[in-house]
Amino acid sequence: MRADTQGLRWLQTTAYNAFAIGLGILAGLVVVVYAGGNLGVALSSLFLNPVSFSGGIQQIFVRFVLFYTMGMGVGLALKAGLWNIGAQGQLLVGMVMVFVVYTFMGFLPWPLLYVSMILGAALGGLLWIAVPTILRVKFGANEIVVTILLNVVAFNFAFYMLSGPIKSAGTALGFPHTVELPALFKIPGITSAVPITYAVPATIVIGIILYFLVERTPFRVKANTVGESLETAKYAGISINRIMVITMLAAGALAGVAGATYLMGYRYELDIGSFSTNYGLVAIICALVGRKHMLGIGLASFFFAYMTIGAESMALSANVPTYVVFAMEGIMMIGILLGNYLSERRYVT
Amino acid sequence: MTDLFTDILIPIFSTTLQLSPFYLFASMGEIVSEKSGVANMGIEGIMLMSLMSTFIVEYITGNAWIALLGALGVAGVVGTLFAFLAIRVRLDQIAVGLAIYLLGLGLSFVIFNTTYPSGLTPNYVGLPPLVANWDKIPYIGTVFLSQNILVYVSLILVVITSFFLSRTSLGLRVRAVGENPKAADNMGVNVNKVRFLATLFGCLMFGVAGFYFAGNFVAGFQTDIIAGRGFIVLAMVYFANWKPYRALFAGLSFNVVYAAQNRYLALSGFGQASVSTLFNMLPYVFLLALIPVFGRKARAPKFLLKPYRKG
Repeated sequence: MRADTQGLRWLQTTAYNAFAIGLGILAGLVVVVYAGGNLGVALSSLFLNPVSFSGGIQQIFVRFVLFYTMGMGVGLALKAGLWNIGAQGQLLVGMVMVFVVYTFMGFLPWPLLYVSMILGAALGGLLWIAVPTILRVKFGANEIVVTILLNVVAFNFAFYMLSGPIKSAGTALGFPHTVELPALFKIPGITSAVPITYAVPATIVIGIILYFLVERTPFRVKANTVGESLETAKYAGISINRIMVITMLAAGALAGVAGATYLMGYRYELDIGSFSTNYGLVAIICALVGRKHMLGIGLASFFFAYMTIGAESMALSANVPTYVVFAMEGIMMIGILLGNYLSERRYVT
Repeated sequence: MTDLFTDILIPIFSTTLQLSPFYLFASMGEIVSEKSGVANMGIEGIMLMSLMSTFIVEYITGNAWIALLGALGVAGVVGTLFAFLAIRVRLDQIAVGLAIYLLGLGLSFVIFNTTYPSGLTPNYVGLPPLVANWDKIPYIGTVFLSQNILVYVSLILVVITSFFLSRTSLGLRVRAVGENPKAADNMGVNVNKVRFLATLFGCLMFGVAGFYFAGNFVAGFQTDIIAGRGFIVLAMVYFANWKPYRALFAGLSFNVVYAAQNRYLALSGFGQASVSTLFNMLPYVFLLALIPVFGRKARAPKFLLKPYRKG
């Protein structure tokens, strides 16, 4: 393909994506105005609110880290043709593991415990995805079905851990929660003015490392071949199981780490409010919008972090439930898929 | 003293039968849809939309049958959108399905909440029991006669679906477009039309399941109220190897495990203890454990997830 055609195609895809996102935002605005909200207020809360106070900026980066970390995992597995619908479950298990390590391995000295909490979260996510991985590789069981089932199991498991083994002694009544992590175990902020933690540069570094490991090596072609056709991959002599196991386990570990950064960098304690957030699904959208590219997913994640915070404050400005954001995301996703389809059709046929 | 019949077996059987239609309607819909080559991951979004409409329509009209019609209408509209995008435009079925789920998840609550910000009272009533004075007959009355008619309709639907897929010419066409659309096309079958009808049938069944969820599972509408139980149907269909009778077995046994752990928690007094959540995940673990045992021989329709383009 000639360079100018490629540029044109990129421009076209971007235009389609912008149109899709505009469509989703328009739908949100329609709902807000229908519910009696003011259009001007809605627009300003959508676009300006997220960056007009430090809490909003903090939120954007918290979600950026979450979406990017999980999205890279989803994207990796997708390259090999595997759908990890269970990022939400792996995230939950990762979050639980942070407090399991903190509660039961408190004998470790500080720096070791700190690192163990993050590694424990990674291990939790990894073990959780090991189930669908083994079932897929050994028994050929469909990974979508198994990860869906494990999401429900993870929810129950996390709720059990939260209401029993890792519950704070301070919650006799009401909703169970863990203790708050002491300052030593919080991921520190870079500046005191805007609370952006070191989790943000760390995530970007992970993204760049994965970019070099995945996109710039033969691994990308191998994974893509597995993803496109198992037959072709077999004839090409690619070890299908190895590719599947590597991408899936990495996906689980990344989602687990996302849980650790969320708790240690922002929430500091685990409660039921962190459970049914559907971040796992947004991570799938980010992976698709970023076209499974390790850096593209980063851009998509930043955009969706900004957009979801803005849309939530827009909804709140008109007393509309923040669930409207899911509907907007659904419309955007349909629009983006349509855009991909249209821009590919133009050149392929 | 707990009695084996009145305290354990009867409640378990009765709960199993009462909850089954939700899974049976949905899994028959998903089987027909997937047999034609279209997997619908938007299942829970469609259910949430029709569940929302069920509560609202029943509240306005006071008639559960009209609410059922409303649920079917809503499922039909959302289903047509899904079918158009997945079949006509040939978008990735899994991605479109997830998008439909997100749309339904958000839209159902937004519509409900902006229309009735403070919820609905009185509570949902639903369909009457099959026999009005069922409690006159011990055991049988509780298990079989106290159920509403959809319990039996759903059981009959399993028989019909199996018959339809294996013995009728339209059923043969459904299977053909899922196994080998090219050959079906050469035989003069309109592949995408058959797929569209099968997918729409599936969505309508999700609508019935969403309708059934009201009253039998929950008394009022809330955010994310189905909580993954719609997605579980995908696992049941997979375990069932796309066979209606095995899906019936999956649905019933899942509910037996659910009802048994529920009954155990109620009788043992563990219901409020933290271990209760571990018991709550037993039905899902049960389904998960079946997959490596029975899923080994699972053979998906050959052209599942693969869009068809004529020519």
